[in-house]
Amino acid sequence: MKALLVEDLHVHYGTIHAVQGVSFPVEEGEIVSIVGSNGAGKSTIMWTLAGVVPPSGGRVAIKGSPMPRKPHEVVALGLALVPERRRLFSALTVRENLLMGAYRRAGGDEIEAAMERCFELFPILRERLSQRSGTLSGGEQQMLAISRALMSGPEILLLDEPTLGLAPILVEAVMETVARIRDEGVTVLMVEQNATQALEISDRGYILEAGVFVKSGPGPDLARDPEIRRAYLGG
Amino acid sequence: MFLQTVITGLSIGGIYALMAVGYSLVFSVLNFSNFAHGAVIMLGAYVGLALATKLNLGFGLVLAGSVAGAGIIAVLNEKLAYSSLRGRKAPSLYLMISAMGCAVFLENLVYATIGSRFYAFPEFFGRQVVTLWGSSVSLLDGGAFLFALLAIFGLHLFIRRTRTGIAIRAGVCDMTMCSLMGVDLNRLIAVVFLLAGGFAGVAGVFLGVKYLVYPTMGWVTNKAYIAAVIGGLGSLPGALAGGLILGMVETFVSTYVSSVLRDVFSFTLLIAFLVWRPNGLMGIDSEDKV
Repeated sequence: MKALLVEDLHVHYGTIHAVQGVSFPVEEGEIVSIVGSNGAGKSTIMWTLAGVVPPSGGRVAIKGSPMPRKPHEVVALGLALVPERRRLFSALTVRENLLMGAYRRAGGDEIEAAMERCFELFPILRERLSQRSGTLSGGEQQMLAISRALMSGPEILLLDEPTLGLAPILVEAVMETVARIRDEGVTVLMVEQNATQALEISDRGYILEAGVFVKSGPGPDLARDPEIRRAYLGG
Repeated sequence: MFLQTVITGLSIGGIYALMAVGYSLVFSVLNFSNFAHGAVIMLGAYVGLALATKLNLGFGLVLAGSVAGAGIIAVLNEKLAYSSLRGRKAPSLYLMISAMGCAVFLENLVYATIGSRFYAFPEFFGRQVVTLWGSSVSLLDGGAFLFALLAIFGLHLFIRRTRTGIAIRAGVCDMTMCSLMGVDLNRLIAVVFLLAGGFAGVAGVFLGVKYLVYPTMGWVTNKAYIAAVIGGLGSLPGALAGGLILGMVETFVSTYVSSVLRDVFSFTLLIAFLVWRPNGLMGIDSEDKV
């Protein structure tokens, strides 16, 4: 079954036509990347799929059922978003951020198990549990943002610029983690601006330009396409 | 004399703090000053009064009934007057204007139905006093202060420890992300108004018992607003500290300077804080790391 099916999606901000009819499927267990320059509409697609920004046209199906209108209802279908710039609850501790991620989970045991799983991915978080999340370093904040999203046990994970502002060595680590999350059975839709590494691990990639897809194909192929390298991947 | 003044100051300060907590809760979540809060306090006092005089209930039940009544009124207030504005992402100024409209509406509703008479609660505690170190201290004053302290501490624990409390604090940081954690924002906001209303009910009963019940009694929340600003809008410990400081300042000015000058001091304090320390004593200002 398709985890996500987007058909002819349009999004308007007032008179600005930010997303102009994009269509794509995301199969279960895939990593799909959307690549494009600043202002191409990448984040808008993410916020729309999470139920925060209402679409002005088109259809979105999550696991076969039409997308609900409210973010908390979308989350209930098993989707989680790691937004651009992370948007942590900065006044809350690391532990409280993780607890918020597990808001929909019932039992304490289940929450503890989900937390242990996050510590396996990012051991440093265990040492930071009682620290205010606003005081973490940039890399640690990204780890926490991903962990917070994983706490709900999502089947579909949306990652919006997960490597923004990170040192090159951390970029690689984040990509490795994304691949590992997929191997554990989570479907990943990722948006990236500097995207060679993202495309390398993607099953499919889409190039977004001014609200429309201009090219698509298997991720590694796109990463090696000379034209795309010149335009989007910094040579 | 001195001790008596301190206790009176603490009791008035405690009531200010109870009212300021309601302001602060709503302000921190929705980022607007809910000027209808005073009207909810007033209605809470009337609910308590009805329970005390018509049903002859004791103080505990009157308090509980008033908490429930004012809580429900606050939730209805939000559903009817604010939620549609929120849905349309109106600027907080619109919410504030709507709140002022509610205050005037509710006051006049009471004028039109119950009338403008002043009512007194039955004497629950008589005028019992205890003598401490040579000064006589009213039991009501001491009790009001202790109860306010306890209630605010309870709220503090709720906000710190429970799942809903953590969600409220998360919502204060970032509403959108809070909803992306699976929180139903409409329900969360209803809980916030229920809490604010509950505290309004307590404040209404204490005010009514200490003074009188009348349609414009809610305007004393001007003082709660000052207390909230002094403590830092949006901070619970701040609301407590601000309430107590203001209560003490007012009582000491009334006793040792002149009761006519009391409000001059209070509002001067407000202006001074707004000019030099707009975040108050314990206001929140935290920046996200980019």
